[in-house]
Amino acid sequence: MPLLEIKDLHASVADKPIIKGLNLTINPGEVHAIMGPNGAGKSTLSNVLAGNEAYEKTSGQILLDGVDVDDMAPHERACAGMFLAFQYPVEIPGISNMYFLKAAVNAVREAQGKDQLDAMDFLDLVEDKKKMVKIRGDLLERAVNSGFSGGEKKRNEIFQMSMLEPKLCILDETDSGLDIDALRIVSDGVNALRSADRGFLVITHYQRLLDYIVPDFVHVLVDGQIVKSGDKDLALELESGGYASWVAE
Amino acid sequence: MDLVKLREKAAADFKEVGFPTSKEELWRFIDVSRVANAEFSNEWKPSDLEFQSLDKITVVFENGKLSREKSNFDELPAGVCIGSILDLVDPRIGTLADAKNAFVSSNTAYFSDGYFVDIAEGVKLESAIHVVYLADVDGAAFHLRNFISAGADAEVSVIEEYIGKSGTQYWTNAVTEAFTADRAWVDHYKIQRESEAAFHFQTLESHLGAASVFSNHAVTFGAALGRNDIRGKMTGEEGEAICNGLYLLKDNQIFDTHMFMDHAVPKCNSHELYKGILDDTSRGIFCGRILVQKDAQETDAIQNNGNLLLSRAAKVHTMPQLEIYADDVKCTHGATVGELDEEALYYLQTRGINPKKGHAMLVFAFANEVMDEVKCKTVKTYIEELVYAWLENAHV
Repeated sequence: MPLLEIKDLHASVADKPIIKGLNLTINPGEVHAIMGPNGAGKSTLSNVLAGNEAYEKTSGQILLDGVDVDDMAPHERACAGMFLAFQYPVEIPGISNMYFLKAAVNAVREAQGKDQLDAMDFLDLVEDKKKMVKIRGDLLERAVNSGFSGGEKKRNEIFQMSMLEPKLCILDETDSGLDIDALRIVSDGVNALRSADRGFLVITHYQRLLDYIVPDFVHVLVDGQIVKSGDKDLALELESGGYASWVAE
Repeated sequence: MDLVKLREKAAADFKEVGFPTSKEELWRFIDVSRVANAEFSNEWKPSDLEFQSLDKITVVFENGKLSREKSNFDELPAGVCIGSILDLVDPRIGTLADAKNAFVSSNTAYFSDGYFVDIAEGVKLESAIHVVYLADVDGAAFHLRNFISAGADAEVSVIEEYIGKSGTQYWTNAVTEAFTADRAWVDHYKIQRESEAAFHFQTLESHLGAASVFSNHAVTFGAALGRNDIRGKMTGEEGEAICNGLYLLKDNQIFDTHMFMDHAVPKCNSHELYKGILDDTSRGIFCGRILVQKDAQETDAIQNNGNLLLSRAAKVHTMPQLEIYADDVKCTHGATVGELDEEALYYLQTRGINPKKGHAMLVFAFANEVMDEVKCKTVKTYIEELVYAWLENAHV
């Protein structure tokens, strides 16, 4: 069964149609990249998938593991195995990263019928995953994303992703605002999470990220529709030719 | 003036001025007639209430009287003096808290006990001093007078915790004077957990010497009607005052915070962060006045008051006031009354956290920001637990 199936999806923001008939299927183990110019609908797609109420799905279907997610709130989608790494992670002063993560991990575990992690088991898991994304211990003691640099925020997203062990990982322009070193660390973290039963949807404006996270499929999103699909070479093509020819059409 | 005369004068002042009415600007939003019209007795009994020691040194007052038995301050390092205010001879008593109003005057006239802490020059006291006031006599009035003196370069942490028995009606009327000498560091906390039927009023007055730090965290949970008057005065350059606070109100509680920071000399910093969470039909009042006097150049003062209303019937009056007579200063103030950040709630949800839990986490986070500068880890954890417990029963 496909991990994610999007069928003829239409979505609006403030009554303005943004996604206009999008189809996409992601099978377990696959990494799909969606590339597109500004305004193509990239962020709308990730928000509609995650269930953000500010984005309205007007028609079509989104199936996660064969289940229609229409009636599922964002936290239910997360508990069902969907994870969205934000383009702009939200700062939450006053809640420590550790407390936040423990609440998240245990919420997802509870929904999946697993035992709650106690403090010791949780710390073991943190130690384990910390190495994977090379995140500094002091960031975990601080308030969620508060005063983090752009790179630290993105690393924190990947860290959360590794802790929650989702089936479907959506990365919304994770490369934006990253320098080469941070990009490499974030990509290494993502690559370490690649597995036969996990799927990725990597949304990006630039080809650069795909040098590090090599996709199985590349799709070009223009004006709310996928206008071309191919393998990783399509990304290189876009890099040299740009989006101009698509946008002009 | 010697203490006897001072007290006689205060008694006369109290008779003369009486309790304030809401016609007076400083008492505009709080009606204290309930206190003025109540009858208070002098009945005394030991207290059945329990408390949790937060550090090695504890000073315990049972219904307004020091309990040597429950306290623990017998073995103190050299240069540290702690005891009953009744045993203190210091001409500075009453020199800071000299306001002619019902609460300060009656306190000066009638105080029955209280603590004093005297830290000699250069002495850094490692243990915090945990002062506990237990109150469980119906109809009692407790006039508590406290005195803190930190000599030059001294360091001390004092936690005042007021604990009352639920359902008991009494009046706590406390005054604390704090002298922070040059380069000294006074870290003061107030945890107010009075009975929900009690009246609680406190005036805290502090003078800050050059390059000294006075920090105050006031957390309010209890009392039907209450007020904190927190007043600081910079008397030497490069002093720093931190006055943060949190008020968590429900039912019909009314709580008023009046802050006054007097920048009388140059190059001092003061920052104040106050947060309120108000449920049911409770009412909060915050009035923060920062005065920057003519010579107080290079003053850096920040004041912020944020409020979260959990019920439509809850109300808050917030009045930040800047009064600046110097020209080279950096002063900002702000006040908000609002709801929770939807974007943050969405973020938590995408991590699997349901909206109810996410809501509670954000309310906690809102409150917890006030605790960022709490240096004492035990105190921080203790306050966090109290806040959690409060939120469990609130409409979040």
